[in-house]
Amino acid sequence: MKRLTSLLAALCAALLLPLTAGAGTIKIGAILAVTGPASFLGGPESRTLVMLAEELNAKGGINGNKVELIIKDSGANPEKAISFAKQLIEEEKVFAILGPSTSGETLKIKKICTQGKTILISCAAAELIVNPVSPYVFKTPQKDSHAAAKIFLTMRKQGIKKIAVLAGNTGFGKAGKAQLLKLAPQYGIEVVATEVYDKRATDLSAVVAKLMAHKEIQAVVNWSIVPAQAILAKNMRQAGWRVPLFQSHGFGNIKYVEAAGKAAEGIIFPAGRLLIADLLPDDHPQKPVLLGYKKAYEARYHEPVSTFGGHAYDAFKILCRAIGEVGPDREKVRAAIENMKGFVGTGGVFNFTPQDHNGLDIDSFAMLTVKDGKFVPYEQ
Amino acid sequence: MRPYLPFPFLLCLVVGVQLLTQWTDTAYYLTQLTMAAYYALLVIGLCLLMGYAGQISLGHAGFFGIGGYISAALTTHNLAGVDNSLIRLLERLGLLAASTDMFGDPLLTVHPWAAAAIAILTAVLVAWLIGGPVLKLTGHYLAMATLGFGIIIYRIALATPFFGEADGISEVPPLPLLPGLAISGDFSARVTNYYIAWGLLALGLLLLVNLIHSRIGLALRAIHGSEEAAASVGVDTAKAKLKTFVLSAAYAAAAGIFLTHYNGGIGPSEAGIMKSVRYVAIVAVGGMASLWGALLMAVLLNFLSLRGLFGTYDDAVFGLILIAIMLFAPDGVLRLGIAARLRAWRQAHASR
Repeated sequence: MKRLTSLLAALCAALLLPLTAGAGTIKIGAILAVTGPASFLGGPESRTLVMLAEELNAKGGINGNKVELIIKDSGANPEKAISFAKQLIEEEKVFAILGPSTSGETLKIKKICTQGKTILISCAAAELIVNPVSPYVFKTPQKDSHAAAKIFLTMRKQGIKKIAVLAGNTGFGKAGKAQLLKLAPQYGIEVVATEVYDKRATDLSAVVAKLMAHKEIQAVVNWSIVPAQAILAKNMRQAGWRVPLFQSHGFGNIKYVEAAGKAAEGIIFPAGRLLIADLLPDDHPQKPVLLGYKKAYEARYHEPVSTFGGHAYDAFKILCRAIGEVGPDREKVRAAIENMKGFVGTGGVFNFTPQDHNGLDIDSFAMLTVKDGKFVPYEQ
Repeated sequence: MRPYLPFPFLLCLVVGVQLLTQWTDTAYYLTQLTMAAYYALLVIGLCLLMGYAGQISLGHAGFFGIGGYISAALTTHNLAGVDNSLIRLLERLGLLAASTDMFGDPLLTVHPWAAAAIAILTAVLVAWLIGGPVLKLTGHYLAMATLGFGIIIYRIALATPFFGEADGISEVPPLPLLPGLAISGDFSARVTNYYIAWGLLALGLLLLVNLIHSRIGLALRAIHGSEEAAASVGVDTAKAKLKTFVLSAAYAAAAGIFLTHYNGGIGPSEAGIMKSVRYVAIVAVGGMASLWGALLMAVLLNFLSLRGLFGTYDDAVFGLILIAIMLFAPDGVLRLGIAARLRAWRQAHASR
């Protein structure tokens, strides 16, 4: 017992050491899924933030205030996101929190940040994050409903009326499936069949065979964020099924194209313009931002840039611009973000309002396709 | 009396830590200490099963998930606007609770207590149903079977829209205990929640200490030593093992319910396999058959993990702990007898 108490006493003493922060620094917390099942989101996001914070501090910070970044790896565990959010708000007294990477985590700390009056700029997609709107919670990724609408608009032009919907069993797939099913009737499109597959699926030929039995299907929409996106394309080609394949913005990673090889040709999907930054016309407002981010990221990390890192880029830049405009006062910054207009980011041109804490419209998505193993704009 | 001696120490320690944080203006540590206390509730239940009855379970996160998910789903699923005879019956029995969400929309949900009761009963029922066949197995086979059970629960949570699929469930309301006293994660209720959590943990521990010093405890230890020998002196081994399994499942479910209300939500990772491995590692590092050791390690390691001390290596740390303990200190670090070994070493050198 004695050993036990002395151990605990020592532990308490060690943990209660006061925390010190330099004067003139702005603390920004980030809760990101750097490891675990969502590391494809949190990895690029955290690398982007580290890069941006260093760049900013090298230039002298925001009006002379240096930025101190505190990145917490939640591994996509909501209970950790909750613990970290409370820690960042009360203990580190951060100015704002960027992230989390996943919708599930964001929804669990939405209330905590609202109660703690701390700005949260999420890098996750779910509409529930900003609807109903909380005064302190924002998000940078484009809306799933806009991606779905963009797909349906393209289909309508092609005269497609009957489709099949596939989704992976992740938060991303779940949210996308819901939007597709909800919006289809508005565009006069009928969803004939719906299939959900495991995120680790290595073969979808059974699913393809099942769907092929429905002769009336004119196109397939797949909504997921996992390697199954490439597997589906291959399986459809192997089965000789030649209907158009639409994917979600989750397809916006060139490694899926490489994995699918020839089968990837002709896949149509909505995405932010980061993937086709080089191909944009020179007068496109996003072009300098996109190329700047792409070059800096790829030069530093020697890996292709991803749209997910772009969400963290936008979150960081929006916050810094607001702080630069009104100074490091949380309420003023919150109001400044809420009323920010014409911010050019990687996800699109943001126009926030007190009712719209996402600020992106349907034009933030472009329709892309795969040609000769590369992403190119889709022309109808 | 002896087994109960540490309890006053625990009380002093709990109060002492709270006062210390108050004086040093660091009350935020209580958040993670509260969460860690609920995980410890699960771990002491698992300790009874593993350390005393000698049965391994790699599926306890599954029971935690059953408890947390059922209470979360029932207390958040909006029944407003639904009108059928079942709802009316529940309403007449006073099992429903009307409220408004954070945006002012009306909510009609199952009362948290009714939900908690259903959650515990479900966990007990599931444990009883699978415990019968599963506990006939021993060693690796038992580990595999419980592992499989844990994966099934995780998969169900991940695939069921009612349980929120990959996003889990958010906006879970507080669990009212007494008027003015509720399990909730509000910043203003932190100190009371710290005492509630540690009170519940102490109560759970008291029951287990009682149990292991009773005839049942003796029977369990006999089973741990040798099932055949225990059976030969008249212990109904199958029954004793099943009862212990069910009890420890109930502890896990209770922990899940309390933590879900405290956190205001739950996600599939809480039912995941890495969590089960983590609990087994904690019981092992605490010394298998040592409730106090398990409690201490559960609080310590979960506290550090929840504060993000292990950073990106969180799961790896617990895996390493399990391997290291199995190799070097199968009786737990608190039983290494470091002081005694040091003394022996010094004597050996002094006499030379």
